[in-house]
Amino acid sequence: MRGPKPQRMPKPQRIRCPVHNLIEFGTDQFEQTLWRAIQTPPFQRLRRIRQLGFSELVFPGATHTRFAHSLGVFHMARKLIEVIRRSIGADRTRMYGHHQAQVALAAALLHDIGHGMFSHAFEPLAKRLRLPSAEHERASATLIRDSEIADVLNAELGSGFANDVAALIERKEPGNLYDAVVSSQFDADRLDYMQRDRLMTGVQSSGVDPVWLLANLEVAAVRTGADDASAGEIETLVLGPKAVQTAQSYVLALFHLYPNVYLHKATRGAEQVFAALMERLLRLAADGHTAKTGLEERHPLIRFAKEPGDSARAQALDDHVFWGALPMLEEAEDAEIARLAGALRGRRLFRCIDVRAQIAVALPPRKDEAREKHQARIALACTRAERLLRMAPKCILTDSYSRSPYKRVQESQSPLNRILIRTTAGSPPQDMAELSPIIAAAEPFHILRAYVARDDDKAGRTIENIVRTSTRGGEEDGQA
Amino acid sequence: MVRRDPHRVAARIVRDAGGSVVGRTRMQKITYLAQLAGFPAEFRFDYRHYGPFSEELATGLDIASALGELTEEVRVSDWGGTYSIYRLPREQPPADPRRAAFLQKAKEIGAIELELAATAAFLFAEEGIGRDKPGNPWHETRARKPQKAAEGRLEAAATAYADLRCLSTPKPLPELPPP
Repeated sequence: MRGPKPQRMPKPQRIRCPVHNLIEFGTDQFEQTLWRAIQTPPFQRLRRIRQLGFSELVFPGATHTRFAHSLGVFHMARKLIEVIRRSIGADRTRMYGHHQAQVALAAALLHDIGHGMFSHAFEPLAKRLRLPSAEHERASATLIRDSEIADVLNAELGSGFANDVAALIERKEPGNLYDAVVSSQFDADRLDYMQRDRLMTGVQSSGVDPVWLLANLEVAAVRTGADDASAGEIETLVLGPKAVQTAQSYVLALFHLYPNVYLHKATRGAEQVFAALMERLLRLAADGHTAKTGLEERHPLIRFAKEPGDSARAQALDDHVFWGALPMLEEAEDAEIARLAGALRGRRLFRCIDVRAQIAVALPPRKDEAREKHQARIALACTRAERLLRMAPKCILTDSYSRSPYKRVQESQSPLNRILIRTTAGSPPQDMAELSPIIAAAEPFHILRAYVARDDDKAGRTIENIVRTSTRGGEEDGQA
Repeated sequence: MVRRDPHRVAARIVRDAGGSVVGRTRMQKITYLAQLAGFPAEFRFDYRHYGPFSEELATGLDIASALGELTEEVRVSDWGGTYSIYRLPREQPPADPRRAAFLQKAKEIGAIELELAATAAFLFAEEGIGRDKPGNPWHETRARKPQKAAEGRLEAAATAYADLRCLSTPKPLPELPPP
């Protein structure tokens, strides 16, 4: 009689990473469980989603995936947890939160599994169409609770473990010190992507010094609240006094990554073409005109169009599915789909018209006008132009985006969206904008661009009219 | 997106709120709740870690302050953060008396309680928690904001929200399950 099949001895697993070199998963129950979660189909799907979407059209090296990034985030999260363990371990009156730390580590590893095709490129359209997959955090949480990942986590780490991980990703606001590893100014996500995106795109500015940052991070209780009301103290990660310059470089690195990489006009243009193509495809298929799209009924894109609320349909989509569909889409009966598919496949990107730049030219500063007021007049004209662009014919693709590399005055400041630095022992940590005039002066990026087919002169003239109309009252705005 | 110039819409909210509003959080949350109660919906709100937030409204406030439609005074709070006080540069009567009654009542609520109430309402109205999905929006709010929900603030938020529901509005604020 044969006995039960002997269990395989757990063995350590090692991954080589171009950013972090060696990422190891140990033989303990927790890390072996995470290793099994990596082997599940939802996680393996991340191999087929590029971290930077269409950036590869501009930076040929930027072919790295959400899979590699997620492993890197786990690696950085483990280092941050070590900072917490070290800090708490030095204080005999406090207890290290083993479970909370494990939840944070698992969340770091799994936080991106809900991402749609081409990472963030699909999100604005999904939001506009009110699709459940519009927010990748929510989609990730759903998958962690409902997919085979939940079975893997709950079987080894307790029945509520998957839910705890999903809840952390979903709530966005860190509830405790360990959550800051997943969501804060120094979270593991940012510490990985800033290094990885710089390396893989090849941009030479935007360097960060993670070793020095980590060596100077410490745990501190800081006061929190909203507006004028206090909500007590919360523990978070703050930097020591020797990291002021490193923290400044860290914010400036983001300041450079945005215009150089994330907001590159060609990348954003490709995203707009992709979104326009997907919108047309989804509408045709949902209205029963699949035959006009060039795809078969059982194609994953068509199945998604017909059941966009089904997470299995969303999970069946990835970058490879889309690129694989392009030859068929290029032969679609629907002329718009064929045109947009051809543009993407052949990298015949649309012409970019920088509407904001044109508005700035049309609204020069007045004599003795404060910069803040001049910028406000431009911002106002941009809101007017965007409104008109959104009503313009579909052949004009509009892209607007704002991002602050570090905003000192937010809607609701909290210790978790500020970089806090302890300058002297015993004193409360200070906001780094108080210590760095460069960071204090950093202004947000705003883009307002329109994309039109290169041979579409009529669309170009429409945009010129929109710029004229939007700036017409601009001379009077703000006049006493 | 907002159909009119966002700075004028933002300034009109301050006008109906009695000529001044203390805090960006308060400004965002009273606007969200007013829109949810059926007063003209101008701004699009998304969920951020501090609850419902409109980038368009934030932009409108910045433009209004720079162009003189509003004044913005930035102060340091006793917990170390900063907050803004928005005021009309000169006194003006409310443009919409019914909205004014709503906004003036809402702005008296503490900023944290307002954030909690607006978050619970958003989770119910936009994410369907407690409506067509399982769960309770107040419990979810507590789970997402444990620090802010502590010391009876969540219960105070629920009471304040119930008080707002008693006001005359174009449509009733959604009835949330008890916390």
